[in-house]
Amino acid sequence: MRKSLKNIYDFISDHLYFYRPDLEINGEKYNSTLLFSLLTTVVQGKQLIVGEPGLGKTTSAEYICSVFYQIPLGTIWLSEVAGHPEQTEEKIVGRPNLGLLNKGIESVVWSNFVQLPVKIVDEINRLPETKQSIILDGVDRGNWQYLNEMFTNDEYCLFATANYQDLGTFTIIPPMLDRFDVMVESKHPGANISYLIASFYKKDELLRHEKYERELNKLLNDSKLSYEIKIERIEKVYAKFSKHLEKMGLQPISKQKRKAIQNEIEDMELDLDANAFLRTLISELSFCYKYGQKRANEKCEEGCHFTGYLCHSIKNCISNRFPISVKLYAKALAWFLGNKKVNVEHIKTVAPYALSHRLQWKEEFIAIYEKETRVDPLPIYLAKVAVDKVLERYGEQRESIKEALAVAYDISQGKQIAPLEGDHPIYWEIKRDLGEL
Amino acid sequence: MKNPFFEFKDFRPKKREIPLDKIIASKEKVMDALIKAYDRLVEQEAKELVWLVSYHSVIRAYANAEKSIKDMQYGVEDIEEFLFEIENPSRLPYPIMGLCGLYISALCNHIKEKEIILDLQNKNINLHLLGYRLPKGKKLIVYGDLGDFTGIGLNGGELLVEGNAGNWTGAGMRMGKIVVKKNVGRRTGEDMVGGEIYVEGKILGVGNVRYGRIYEKGGIVSP
Repeated sequence: MRKSLKNIYDFISDHLYFYRPDLEINGEKYNSTLLFSLLTTVVQGKQLIVGEPGLGKTTSAEYICSVFYQIPLGTIWLSEVAGHPEQTEEKIVGRPNLGLLNKGIESVVWSNFVQLPVKIVDEINRLPETKQSIILDGVDRGNWQYLNEMFTNDEYCLFATANYQDLGTFTIIPPMLDRFDVMVESKHPGANISYLIASFYKKDELLRHEKYERELNKLLNDSKLSYEIKIERIEKVYAKFSKHLEKMGLQPISKQKRKAIQNEIEDMELDLDANAFLRTLISELSFCYKYGQKRANEKCEEGCHFTGYLCHSIKNCISNRFPISVKLYAKALAWFLGNKKVNVEHIKTVAPYALSHRLQWKEEFIAIYEKETRVDPLPIYLAKVAVDKVLERYGEQRESIKEALAVAYDISQGKQIAPLEGDHPIYWEIKRDLGEL
Repeated sequence: MKNPFFEFKDFRPKKREIPLDKIIASKEKVMDALIKAYDRLVEQEAKELVWLVSYHSVIRAYANAEKSIKDMQYGVEDIEEFLFEIENPSRLPYPIMGLCGLYISALCNHIKEKEIILDLQNKNINLHLLGYRLPKGKKLIVYGDLGDFTGIGLNGGELLVEGNAGNWTGAGMRMGKIVVKKNVGRRTGEDMVGGEIYVEGKILGVGNVRYGRIYEKGGIVSP
C-alpha cells in the first residue's frame, strides 16, 4: 500500500506537478506542497495552500485528489467552491429541492462540494469573514447542515487555497485558520522548470475522462436516488476510472485499502523522544508562569523569567488542534517513509507546517528574522526557526525531561518523591499537573 | 482520564554523562596504564630504588620499557600529562630521572605522531637520557632544560632542546641532529659515530668523537 502511495507521488511529480524539492527527510528530497497534499488525502486532513496566483495551488490539490480517490478531474472541477464575496450557502452547501417544495415537501439538493469526498475551496480568502463561517462546521466535522437536514461525509479531505493579500482579499478568521491541519506554500519552480511547464500545458488531459465525468455528474445531480444507492453507483464509476488510471501505470487505492492505510497510520506509535519533544514544544507555546496560560489579550509581565522561550515571542496560545494535527501528519509521514515509529525527525518536519498559520508572533520576534535569507514565506520560516530552537533546547535536556515525566508518573501513582526541577516550562507544567504549583 | 504520564512509566534515565566526563575518564584510563607500565619498569630495573647508568643497563631498561608499553594506545598529550605526574608523589612515588627519561624516550619513539613537543618549563624535573634512539623521521622538541645523556644513541631523528643539556649529550649517536639552544656539559658527543650536534650556547667539553660533527655557536669544534 505504501508502494501505491509512492507511485502516486512519483506519477504526479513526473507528469503533472513540476517543482523544486524544498524538504529533506532521512536524506530523501520532497516537495512540501505535494507531500503534504498526499498526506492530507490519506489522513483526511485539512490543508491550506498559499502562494502567488498561477503557481499550482489548486491544481496540485486537484491532481492528488483525482488520483487518490479515482475521480475524473472534470468532476472535481465541478465540485470546487470558488471564494468570492457573492458566494452563498446555497451554492456551497445545498439548496431546497424546488420541485418538491412546490408540492409542500421540504427536501435538500446537496451540492457536489458536499457530496464528494474531495473538497476544494479556491481562494478562500476572497470569501468575506462572515461567509467563512458557512464552511466552518463542515470543514471541522464533515457534517453539513441545510434547512433541517444533515449530510455527513464518512470520507473527506479539504484543501483551501489563498493568495497573498491584495485588494480583493479578506483575512481568514482565526477559528477558520486553526481548523486547517497544515499550511504549505506552492512555490515558483524556478525559470527552468517553469519553462518546461509551458511545454506540457495539456497535462490535465491525463486525468480527464468525459464519459465518466458525465456519468458522475448525472448521478450527483439525481436527487431522487437515495444516498446509499447513489454512493454505490458513484463508486462503480470511480472503479471504471481507476482502470483508466491503471493503463497509465498508476496503482489506484480502493476505498477498502484507503481505510486499511488509515488504520495502520492510526496504530503508529510515537517513540518516547517524539512524545517528550512534542510536549516540550506545546509547553513553550501555551505556558505562562504569571497568568496560568498564554492568552491573546494578555501581555507578558515586565522582567519575566521565561523570556528565552517561545511563550515570550508569541501573542496567542496554541490550540488543542495543533497536537492533533502534528500527531496525525507525523504518523502519516512515518508510515509513508516506512518507519516503524514516529520519531523526533518526523515531528520536526511536520510541526512548522502545523504551526505557521496558528501562531501570532510578536513584532520583536518578526523583526529579528524577517530580513533573513530564506526560501519559505515568513510564517513558515518563523515556525521552522521556532521548532529548531525548541529542538535545540530539548536536545540539551532530553534525558532530564523524560525523567521528569517518568518521575511524574511515579508521583501520580502515590510514590513519595519530589518532581524533577528544571527551568524549562515543561517542568512547571508537570508540577502544575501534579498539583505542586 | 488517562494518566498523562503513563507512556513514561517504564522510562529509566540513562546515566548522565557529559562529553567532557567521557574524555576525562578515557584520559584517566590511559594515564593509569602509563603509570602502571612505569611502575613495572621500576620494579624490574631498580629493585633497591637505585639505578646506575651503564651501557648494559640502558639497553636492558630500554628493552623493558618498550615491552611495558607494547600495544598501549596513547597520544602526545598523554606523554605531557605523564610529565606532570612525575612531580606528583601520590601518583608516581619513585620518579627515577634516568628511568623516566628512557621510558619517555620509548613512548616518543613508538608514538604515531612525527613531531612531539614536550614542555618542561616550570617543572621541577631534570630528565636524563631523553631522546635515546630517536628514530629517523621523528622530531622531538623540548622546552626547558634536560639532564645528562640527552640524545644518546640518536638514530636519525631530530632533537631540539630549547634550553640547556647536561654531560654526555649525543654520546654514541649514530645519525640525526641534536640542536641545543643554550649550553651543554662535558663529554659532548662521546663515542658518536655520525650525525651533527649544534650547540648555540657554550660546550663545556667535547668527548672522543669517532665520526660526526659538533658545532658551537655556529663554528665547528669537531672534527
